[in-house]
Amino acid sequence: MKRISIILSIIIVASMLLSACTKAPEVVETEAPPATTEKTVLNVWSFTNEILTMAVAFEKSHPDVDVVYTMIPMTNGEYQTKLMATLGTADVPDVVALEAAFVKSYVESDFLADIGDLQKYADELKMYPFVYEVGMADGVHKAYAYQATPGALFYRRSLAKEYFGTDDPVEIQKLLADFDKFIAAAEVVKTKSGGNTYMVASNGDFQNLFFANREQPWVVDGKLTVDPMVEKMVETVKLFRDNGYEAKANQWQEGWFAGMNDTLKDAEGNPKKIFSYFLPTWGLPYVLAPNATSADKTSTTVGDWGVVEGPLPYQWGGTWLGVMKETKKMDLAKEFIRFCTLDEENLTNWATGVYTNEYLKAIDPTVPEGQSQAAGDFVGSQVVVEKITAGFDDSEMSAFLGGQNSYGGFAAAAPSVNARLMQGSDDAIQRALNDPLNSYLEGTLTLEEMWSTWKDAVRNEFPDLIIN
Amino acid sequence: MSSKIKHNQYGYLFVAPFILGFLIFGLYPVVNTIALSFTDKTLMSATSSFIGFRNFQNLFADSTFMTAITNTWELWLMNFIPQIAIAFILAIWFTNTRLKIKGVGIWRMIFYMPNLMMASAVAALFFSLFSFYGPVNQLLVRSDILPEAVDFLRNPQIARGLVVFIQWWMWFGQTTILLMAAMTAISPSLYEAAWVDGAGTFQMFTRITLPLIKPVLIYILVTSLVGGMQMFDIPYLLTDGRGSPANSILTNNINMYMKFHSSKGHIGAASSVGVIVFLMTSAVALLIFFLLREKHSTGKEIKEK
Amino acid sequence: MKTNYSRSTHILRFLVYFLMVVLVVITIIPIWMLIVNATRSTVEIQQGLSLLPSRYLVSNYKILLSKGLDLPRGFLNSFTISILTTIVTVYFSLLTAYGIVSYDFKGKKALYNFIIVLVMIPMQLSIIGFYQWMSKLGLSDSYAALILPSIASAGSVFFAKQYLESIMLHELIDAGRIDGCSELGIFHRIMLPIAVPGAFTMGIFAFVASWNNFFTAFILITSRDKYTLPMLVQTLRGDVYRHEYGAIYLGLAASVVPIIVIYFLFSRYIVNGISMGAVKE
Repeated sequence: MKRISIILSIIIVASMLLSACTKAPEVVETEAPPATTEKTVLNVWSFTNEILTMAVAFEKSHPDVDVVYTMIPMTNGEYQTKLMATLGTADVPDVVALEAAFVKSYVESDFLADIGDLQKYADELKMYPFVYEVGMADGVHKAYAYQATPGALFYRRSLAKEYFGTDDPVEIQKLLADFDKFIAAAEVVKTKSGGNTYMVASNGDFQNLFFANREQPWVVDGKLTVDPMVEKMVETVKLFRDNGYEAKANQWQEGWFAGMNDTLKDAEGNPKKIFSYFLPTWGLPYVLAPNATSADKTSTTVGDWGVVEGPLPYQWGGTWLGVMKETKKMDLAKEFIRFCTLDEENLTNWATGVYTNEYLKAIDPTVPEGQSQAAGDFVGSQVVVEKITAGFDDSEMSAFLGGQNSYGGFAAAAPSVNARLMQGSDDAIQRALNDPLNSYLEGTLTLEEMWSTWKDAVRNEFPDLIIN
Repeated sequence: MSSKIKHNQYGYLFVAPFILGFLIFGLYPVVNTIALSFTDKTLMSATSSFIGFRNFQNLFADSTFMTAITNTWELWLMNFIPQIAIAFILAIWFTNTRLKIKGVGIWRMIFYMPNLMMASAVAALFFSLFSFYGPVNQLLVRSDILPEAVDFLRNPQIARGLVVFIQWWMWFGQTTILLMAAMTAISPSLYEAAWVDGAGTFQMFTRITLPLIKPVLIYILVTSLVGGMQMFDIPYLLTDGRGSPANSILTNNINMYMKFHSSKGHIGAASSVGVIVFLMTSAVALLIFFLLREKHSTGKEIKEK
Repeated sequence: MKTNYSRSTHILRFLVYFLMVVLVVITIIPIWMLIVNATRSTVEIQQGLSLLPSRYLVSNYKILLSKGLDLPRGFLNSFTISILTTIVTVYFSLLTAYGIVSYDFKGKKALYNFIIVLVMIPMQLSIIGFYQWMSKLGLSDSYAALILPSIASAGSVFFAKQYLESIMLHELIDAGRIDGCSELGIFHRIMLPIAVPGAFTMGIFAFVASWNNFFTAFILITSRDKYTLPMLVQTLRGDVYRHEYGAIYLGLAASVVPIIVIYFLFSRYIVNGISMGAVKE
């Protein structure tokens, strides 16, 4: 009895070990043709399914390559944690996608390879400086992006006509050309609407603008530096709160979305309106357009929007691609990045919606139903942008903007964006300011207390930063 | 006697798989974490150096660390005490042969369901419920309970109350199940004998039930303590992941997470937080064991009857 | 005397049922709202909550399918991992706990104390170290890394020991030995059957924990065809700026249903401790 049960236990454990230990054959996203040639495998990791489209297109022009695409979400930090865990092990991917919030830390680290020999393509295609600047550290290029995500200001045409007598973008831009003018305009909006229209939904909407226009980075020689622009931001935010120019409808929450389709009501049920939203390129098709009509379809603002550059240039978000140093396929990885971010044909196809599901399925039948890239993503090459802008005159997004070419709006904003000061620690330092700032606005902290609370928080996260 | 000794050797056989499993899978991470806590290693750079106790010194000079510890204790106690109370009440009612509550299985399943929900979905739900333009504000203002909308999640007490409520909601069902499993293992003949002897409900509870379920009770207490000291999901997901507002829901593990998820990935500093949390939890757990240790006589006596 | 007794019992019962209903409402409403979201569109969800279902169930389902998620495969993977983990956890925990409770060997106390202490180690941090170690062993991207560590599941051993201690009957073990049963045989033939309620309790909790765990799984598993159901559902949040919330909630609801079913099927085994008394007599 004893012997049998021991043997049984050993068998059970051994079979579990065996079955679990064998690695399944590599996931093949594409159907391997009955080929006699060995396909080279390229491991690409990303946190969205966007780049899968380009991976499939890549296989069309590089039929001897098999791109193995792994998607790991980053909602709860899974992607970043996993990436950090594989650093230095044999499981590193070849190509990684990096989102704006953490791209700089990777670029600043030792883990990405130098891909500066691709810069000549970037120069040829006149890539917007801020796009490749983000991917640089100490003069070394480590990451490139296919999209540029400059920010713009979207305003309600009907409200503009009511309060400013015009809805023409050129005129509106003159009215909002810098922040002092923006504040003056906010007062006009408030007075003329009797306090029922807010200039912006929340102060979170425009904080990015100030951060993007500093003269100094956050960390200079290992020391925390507060640029005057940041102090100006705090002043402005307080001004907006005290004067009631913002609706306290924080981003990504119900109120923020409701303001987009005119269903915003305060707690007593009085209707309120929002005059403008600061959104980047992807904000238009993914945030504003879908929510411009209320869920029950009774209220809509489609066609009632215009876009201008706004008081200050800024950028928000974006995805970069880099190569991990330990890759064994350096040239192929670089070629992949060149194709995705610095190939004129690919970028044109990407932005003009050539990559429909049918197109992708023709290359690889196993592509999922929903996989495709709709037209309108703002790419990082000025050459391509200039080539295709006119094609957007009659697009759906342009109709959404009352006939204004959406692509053109972003093309106007892109050149002045500056990302030279971006550092890996920016995201954490800036986010540490939110809570103390809100307490200051509510009156529970004085200005000095706000700064010292913020410094304590930064000190907690960055033990080796010099803070005084 | 020699046969007894021979039998005792079998003990090694039974615990061998565990020891082996631990040596293969569990040892490395533990040693790794402890070792890291003495370095200044960051994940984003390949080099690091040994810095002795500096991480720990920094921690104790850091007010945020102390805040995290007090918060975690308070949040745990505020959640655990009502939880164990309600779980006891439910378990007693459900196992009471006199009350004969119907549908116990169904009730129990319903109360356990919150435990099956993903923390992220629940946190997102409550976040939506209590947002400035959300349904709770609308309801309270329109029924005149509040004069105007309140930014609930920016109020430290309310934010903590929500965290405590959600934790309670997610776990009270499981605690009830555990208590019931323990209580139903007690032979009803004991209660009957006591009732015949004239014992009251309270006496039966304190003299029979409590001592006999003590092992499971210790288990519940210690695992809840460990879980409580490492509370992360809900406070992290409810507001901005940094313990806002005003660090009111900053817990030990959020503090730890912030350290190693910041841009450089200060895993050395984060590990030192982990080590301290571990030491603190162990100390309290040992205290619990000591206070509730089996005074062997009472338990065995009743059983042998 | 008799009327008083039954009247107070009736009042108490009424109170109990009333409290039950209140608790059920508190328990169910949030869950209901989450399930209702599975029938609403992303836009509806972004713009508010609702107690009433909407009409987007089918379209959410289509979106779910269109993302190329191999849901049946994910379900199978989840099931495999969870079942194996549960069996491994329960069996080896009881085995180890039995060893500690029934035998008195040198170093036993130290070992047990060590196990308790293991329970206190924060998991969040060690995941990165654990992954790197698994990678060195060549077990990264394998189910082994998820299942085998549960051989040494300190928390379960802790529970098993407390549980066995409270139901342990040394006379039965002695009786078994007299009958000529081997030590392992006693464990399998005598203790395990008695420990069924505790085993099922541990089993259900282990199953649920394993099923819902996607974070650790994401770190350890890379191949798409090995993704579990909760992992697949999480990939729906992958399009950073374009969350399909309707499909996400539908996916979440779908991944909860199996564990509710499992619980329903096995919960009755938890509360069979009454049979214990029979063994004694």
